[in-house]
Amino acid sequence: MKKAYLDKGDNTGSPIGGNGVQTETKVAYIDGQAYAIHENETILSFIRRNLGRDLVPTLCDAPNLEPFGSCRVCSVDVALQANGAVRTVASCHTPVQPGYHISPSSENVQKLRKNIIELVLTDHPLDCLTCEVNGNCELQDVAAKVGIRKVRYPEGKTHLDRQKDLSHPYMTSDLSKCINCYRCVRACDEVQGQFVLSMAGRGFDNHIIKGSDVSFFESDCVSCGACAQACPTSAISDVFESKSVVGTEVTRTVCTYCGVGCNLEVSTVDGKIKSIQAPYDAEVNGGHTCLKGRYAFGFYNHEDRIRTPFIRKNGELVEATWEEAFDFVAEKLTTIKEKHGPDSIAGISSARCTNEENYLMQKFIRAVIGTNNIDCCARVCHSPTALGMQRTFGTGAATNSIIDLKYTNAIMVIGANPTDGHPVTGAKLKQFAMSGKTSIVIDPRRTELAKYATYHLPLRPGTNVAMLNMMLYYIISDGLEDKKFIEARTEGYDEMRAEILRLNIDELESITGVDRNLVRKAAHAYATAGNAMSFHGLGVTEHSQGTFTVMLIADLAMITGNIGRRGVGVNPLRGQNNVQGAADMGCQPHQGAGYMSSYDPEMNKKYELHYGRSVPIGKGLKIPEMWDEALNGNLKALWLMGEDVVQTDPNTQRVMKALDNLDLLVIQEIFHTETTKHADVIFPASSFLEKSGTFTNGERRIQRVNAVVEPLPGTKPDGQIICEVMTHMGFPQPDYHPRWVLEEVSQIVPFFAGVKWDELGEQGKQWPVKPDGTGTEILHTEDFKRGKGKFHFEPWRESEEINANGKDYPYIITTNRELEHYNAGTMTRRTRNVQILTEDTLMIHPDDAAANGIADGDMVCVESPRGKVDIKARITDEVRPGVLSSTFHFPDIMLNNITSDVHDSEAMCPEYKVVACRIRKSKGKFKHQPATEL
Amino acid sequence: MSKNLSELSGRKGLTDNLFEKLGTMAKGNGSPGVKEMEQLAEAFLVGKANVYGSATFYDFTRPENQGKKVYVCNGSACMCAGTQAVVEQKLKETFAEEEIGVMCCLGRCHENSAFHYQGNNYSGDDIKNIKTILDKPERRIEDYHVEAIGTPVLTEVFPGLDAFYAPLKSWLGSDSASLLEEIRTSNIRGRGGAGFPMAIKLETCRNQDSKTKFIVCNADEGDPGAYSDRYLLEQRPHSVLLGMIMAGYVTGASWGVLYIRAEYPEAIDIVEKELEKLYAAGLVGENILGTKFSFDFKVIHAQGAYICGEETALLSSIEGQRPEVRVRPPFPAQQGLFNKPTVVNNVETLAALPWILSHGGQAYAELGTERSKGTKLVSLDGHFNRPGMYEVEMGTPLRKVIDELGQGFRHEVKAMHIGGPLGGLVPVSKIDDLTVDFESFSKNGFLLGHASVVCIPQDFPLVKYIEHLFEFTAHESCGKCFPCRLGSVRGAEMLDKAQHDGYKIDRTLFDDLVETLEKGSLCALGGGLPLPVKNALQYFNEELSPYFK
Repeated sequence: MKKAYLDKGDNTGSPIGGNGVQTETKVAYIDGQAYAIHENETILSFIRRNLGRDLVPTLCDAPNLEPFGSCRVCSVDVALQANGAVRTVASCHTPVQPGYHISPSSENVQKLRKNIIELVLTDHPLDCLTCEVNGNCELQDVAAKVGIRKVRYPEGKTHLDRQKDLSHPYMTSDLSKCINCYRCVRACDEVQGQFVLSMAGRGFDNHIIKGSDVSFFESDCVSCGACAQACPTSAISDVFESKSVVGTEVTRTVCTYCGVGCNLEVSTVDGKIKSIQAPYDAEVNGGHTCLKGRYAFGFYNHEDRIRTPFIRKNGELVEATWEEAFDFVAEKLTTIKEKHGPDSIAGISSARCTNEENYLMQKFIRAVIGTNNIDCCARVCHSPTALGMQRTFGTGAATNSIIDLKYTNAIMVIGANPTDGHPVTGAKLKQFAMSGKTSIVIDPRRTELAKYATYHLPLRPGTNVAMLNMMLYYIISDGLEDKKFIEARTEGYDEMRAEILRLNIDELESITGVDRNLVRKAAHAYATAGNAMSFHGLGVTEHSQGTFTVMLIADLAMITGNIGRRGVGVNPLRGQNNVQGAADMGCQPHQGAGYMSSYDPEMNKKYELHYGRSVPIGKGLKIPEMWDEALNGNLKALWLMGEDVVQTDPNTQRVMKALDNLDLLVIQEIFHTETTKHADVIFPASSFLEKSGTFTNGERRIQRVNAVVEPLPGTKPDGQIICEVMTHMGFPQPDYHPRWVLEEVSQIVPFFAGVKWDELGEQGKQWPVKPDGTGTEILHTEDFKRGKGKFHFEPWRESEEINANGKDYPYIITTNRELEHYNAGTMTRRTRNVQILTEDTLMIHPDDAAANGIADGDMVCVESPRGKVDIKARITDEVRPGVLSSTFHFPDIMLNNITSDVHDSEAMCPEYKVVACRIRKSKGKFKHQPATEL
Repeated sequence: MSKNLSELSGRKGLTDNLFEKLGTMAKGNGSPGVKEMEQLAEAFLVGKANVYGSATFYDFTRPENQGKKVYVCNGSACMCAGTQAVVEQKLKETFAEEEIGVMCCLGRCHENSAFHYQGNNYSGDDIKNIKTILDKPERRIEDYHVEAIGTPVLTEVFPGLDAFYAPLKSWLGSDSASLLEEIRTSNIRGRGGAGFPMAIKLETCRNQDSKTKFIVCNADEGDPGAYSDRYLLEQRPHSVLLGMIMAGYVTGASWGVLYIRAEYPEAIDIVEKELEKLYAAGLVGENILGTKFSFDFKVIHAQGAYICGEETALLSSIEGQRPEVRVRPPFPAQQGLFNKPTVVNNVETLAALPWILSHGGQAYAELGTERSKGTKLVSLDGHFNRPGMYEVEMGTPLRKVIDELGQGFRHEVKAMHIGGPLGGLVPVSKIDDLTVDFESFSKNGFLLGHASVVCIPQDFPLVKYIEHLFEFTAHESCGKCFPCRLGSVRGAEMLDKAQHDGYKIDRTLFDDLVETLEKGSLCALGGGLPLPVKNALQYFNEELSPYFK
C-alpha cells in the first residue's frame, strides 16, 4: 500500500485504509484500493489526481477544455461492488460516485482502446517519421501505449488527400492528420471565444473548417494559437512547428507585451528561439496566450536591431565603442550638472523593462544625478489610476485578481478594449460576457466586448464623469447603496451624496448622449449583483478628468460594498507589461521606490540609508513638464530608456522641438525609432528574451523573467547599461543581476519585503509580499490602506480641447489599440504580425463617411489645431456618428501630430482620447516618411 | 456542444430562432447561401463556421441538397418491400438523376412505395398516378387500420376541443405537486426507447431553480418502420399538446417546443393548425383560462438528421448548433435547451399524460405488466395482411399482435426488425417467447423501442440487411465519437466487399468492431447498432457464415 500523505487535513491523493474500510469520507476504489473522492469530480480526474496522468490514455481531453467524450479512449470499467457486474464508461465525463469500483486497465478496456485506435489509424497517414510532431504526438503516444501492431481492416475510404493550408503568416493546417477530436474547435470556443473553427459535414465526412470553409488567412482567426497548441497531432500547427521537440531546450519566462503577464515556455535550438507555447499550469494564463506572446518574437534577432553604441558627432550619429559612449555620457552629464544643477537633467524610465532596471534607473537619477526629475510611461497611461486609487483607497493598484472572475456575478468594463489590448484577460472577460452573466461596457466604441455585453453605454468621449455621476445618482436615489459598508468602512459619503442628488439628470443625459433608462438599468445591475468587479483602461485615464473618473469608479465600488473580498473590486487593466512595476519602483517624481513621498524628509532618510547618497527633496518634473522645461531652456539633458516619445507622446511636433532643444539626449533602445533620430547617444539594449529580472503584472503579481538566449552580440541589458553608467559617474555598482537588486528593493519597498529572486517560483507572488514570503490576492479586506475609504464628488467639466476647438473642429477622434500591434509597433512591426495588420486606419461611421463623400479605403485628411495626418478610412458602425478612432502603431501616419497638450488636471496624463478635428477626403499627400534606419 | 453557443442562441430564444432561419434560408435553393449564413452568424454573434457547420450537417440544408426536386424513401420497410426501384424508375421518366434525392423514412411503412414531392408525401399506388401529382401536387392523407385492444389510452376517440380541454381549468387550479404524484403513481416510462420514468425527469426539472424552463416534444421519430408518433401528431395532436401543457405546469416551464421531422410535412401542418385553434380559444398563451399559468408553443421544422432523435442532439439542433450528442451530466432536465432546465419526452409519452391526469395514475398503473405500465402503440408494415397502428396493453403476447391484429404475414418472413434500426432482429421462431413490454424484449436479448415492426422476407439476404444497418448508421452518425464515425463505415465497407469482391470478413475483427461500437459509442446510435447485428449472427449464422472466415 502506498504511504498516505496527509497534508493540512486533506487526505486528497492518498489511499484510504484497506479494502472496504469506510470512514466519514466518501470513497471510491481504483483496482480495489480506496481513495477519497472530491465533489463533482469525473472518474478521469479522480484517477489522475490519485495515480497520475498516464494511467488512462486520452485523445480528446485537454487540460483547459471541458470534458467532451468523443475519443472514448479513456473508457474504464466500473462496477457498483467489488467483482460486481461491469459497465464500460468514458471516464472523462462520468462523475465518480461513492462506492464505485473502477478498473482503469482491465483486459476489456485495454482491448477497447486498442480497437478504437486501430479504427483511427485506418484514416490517418502512417508517416510518423517525417511528421513535424514525431516524438510529441499524442496519437503516436497512445497508439504505442495500447500496443497497436497492425491495422486489420481492408483498405477503405480515407481523407488522406486533404490539402494543406499554408495561407497564414502563423497558422497552418494539414487536415489529413486530423483525428476529429474537436480540441481545436473547443479551444477556439471555450478558451479564446472566437468561433473561427467548427466541424462541417456529418459522420465520416466531418471535417474542420475555418469560417465559411475558407483559409486561415481569409478567416476571422486572431492567431492566438490556442487551436495549434490544443491539437494532439499536427493537423493544426504553426509556421514555427511549435510542437516539434527535436533538439529543443525550454525556458519559462513572462511575456513583454501587456500587463496580463502571460507565462511563456520558449523553446530554443542551438541558442536560437524556435517557438513559444503557453504552459497549462500558469496561474495567469493557463495554457493560453495571444499572437503577440506566442508568435511575435521574431523581432529579437531582426536585422534592424541596434548592435553598437552611437554618438552624434558633427550632426551625424556615428558608431562608437561602449567605453567611448559611457565616457562621453558621464562627462557630459557631469558638466551639465555642474553648470546648470541637477534639476536640468531628467530621466524617463521604461515600463517594458524589469523592476530591477526601473529601480536602478530612478536610483541613478535620484542618487547619482540628484534630482526627482524621473518619470515613466505610466504618466501617459495609468498615472490617474494610481493617483485616484491612492486618494480613495490608499493603494494605486488593482484591488483584486483576474481569477476573481470565477467568483463574480457582474463585470463593468469602462474605457477598455481588452480583447485587443489585453487579449488573454480579454478572452476571459468575453467568456464571462457570453456566459449570460451581467456585463456592462461603458465605451464610445462598440468594442468586441460591447457586442456581447448585457448593457453597452456608448457615451460621447470625454463624458465619463457625467456617466458615472448618473450611475451614482440612480444608485442613491433608488436606495441601492450598501449602507452597512458605507457606515463601517468609508468617510465622506454624506457630502458626496448631497452633491450627487443635486445633479441635473437631463443635462447629464444630453452630455453623455446615453438614454438615462439604460444608465439606470446598468447602475441597478452593478449595485444589485452581489459581487461585481470593475475593470478600466486608458479610456478612463487618458482624459482631462482621468483621475476624477478613477475616483468615481472607486465611489461606485464603495457605495455598493464591492471591495475587499473575492469577486469584487476595482481592477485597472495595466497597459504595458511592467507599468505597475515601474511605478512601484519609484519611476515618478513625487514618490520614490515603494510610493514614499519625495517631499518627506523622513522617507528620504530611509532612501539615503540604502543609496548611500543624499537624495533630493521636493518637486520633480512629470513628462509633459519635461517638454515645457526643455522648450524654455531649463532642461538640458534627458535620459530615455526604451521610450519612443516622438511617436507615442501627444503633439509630435512640440515633442520633437523639445528634444531638439536639449544639450544631451541619451537613449537606450533596441531599434532605431522616431525618437532616436534626435539622440546624441544611443546605447544598444537587450530585449526581454535576452535578460532576467521581474515584471509585475496588472494584478500585482511579481513574476520572474528568465533570459532565454544570450544578449544579441553588441547589446547589453538595460540594467547593465545603467550600472555601468553609474560606475562611470563615480557611483560603483556591481554587474546587473536581479538577485542583488531585488534584495536591495526588498529592504526599501515595504510591500516587497518577502520578495526573493530564488523564491518567486514559476507563478510569482502578488504584492504585498510579507517578510515570510506570503503574497496577497485581495487588498483592503479589513481596512483600506488609508484607513477608511474616501468618497469624493467631482462634477463633470468639458475638456479644454472641446471648449477651445470644438466649434471649428467638430469631430472627436479618440485613439485606440489593435490586437496585432503593441504601442509604437517597434517590436510587432518587425514580426509577421505586420502581414496581418499592415497599417493604421481611421474608423468612421457610415453617416459621417457619406456626409464627407468618403468611401471605404479612401484617404482622409484629419486635421486638428496641432497638425494634420492622412489616413485610410475604414467605414464601420463600431464608432458612433461624430466620433472617429484610430491607432498610432505605425510611423507612416504619426497620428500624434494631431493630439493635444491637454492633460489630466491631477496626474498630467495626456488626453489622447478626446481630440477635436475636422475631416475631408484627401489624396494622401501628408504622408510622414518613417525612418526605419538612420 | 458549446455552452457559449447555447447561451448566444438562447439570447434570441425561440421567437427569433437560428435553426429555423437556417431552414427558411434553405427553402429556395435547397441550401442557404454563404453570404446569408454569414449575416445570420453576425446577427447571433456566433462564428461563421458555426452556421456553416450546422448547415452542412442536415440532409435538407447541406449543399448536396441543392437542386433536389423529389425524394424517394429509403427506409428499411420500403427497402424490404422491394418497392423503391420501381418508384425511382418511374420518377426518372420526369426527373434527372441529380434531381432525385432520398429521405429516410416517410413513415408510410404500411403501404410502401413512398416518395416526397413539394412538401407532400405519397405512397402505395400514388406512383402510378405520378403524372397527375406532378401536374397538381396535392396532399393525400393515407388510410390505414387503427385499432386498440383493451383500454384505449392513445387511440381514444377525440371528443372535440371543448370536451377534451374541459379538465384543463381545474388542473391549472390544482396543486402541481399532486399532479406530479399522479404521474409518479402511473409509473409511465418514456416511449422513446430508453424507458426512463417520466416522473423523475419532470421532478428533476421542477426542482431546478430557473425562471426559464422548456418542455420539448421529441417528434423526430426517425426510426424506419415506426409511424406511431406520426399517427399521434396527425390524428391525436391534442393529446400531445395538452400533455405538453401539463408537463409545463408540473415543472414550471412556460415554453413547449415541438421538434417535428421534415419528413412528416402533414404532421407539421396539422399541429400548427391545431395550435392556432388553441391560441384562438385562449387555451394556450398568457395566463391560460385566467390562471397564473402561461404556456407558449413553438414548432420547429427539422431538416433531416436521424441523430436529432437523440435528445441532446435535438436540443443542440434547436439552438442552431450542430446536432452532435452531448455528454451527460449535465442532463437536459438540469441544463438543456439554451442551458436551461428542459424536459425532453417522446410524442407517445406526452400523449398519455392527459389520460393519466383524467383517469388517475392508479388507473394507468393498472394497465400493463408489473414494470411496464400502460399501453403501447405497435406499427405494422406492409408485409402484414392488415398493416396499421395498434394500441395494446403492455404485456400483450407478440403472437397475438401478429396473428390477430396484423392477421399474419402476406408472405413468408424470416425475421422481424422490431423497435427501429437499433432494435432487435427477432427471428419468427422467437415470436412465442415475447410479450409487448420492455422486460420481455430485453430479457430475450431484443429491444422494444418504438415497437415498430419491419419484416424481413425469406428471400431478403441478411448480409444485405445488416450492411443496410451499418450504412444507415454511417449516414446518420453525427461523427462525434470515434467508434461510431469510423466503425459504422468500416463495417459497411467490409460487408459490401464480402458481397461483391469475394472478400471474407475476419470474424474476430468483426466481433471486435461490434464490441467497440457497443461499449465505446457515446450514444445509442453506435451503441445500438450491435444489437440487431448480433441477433443476426446468432440466429442466422448459417446464412451469414459464407461471408466470414
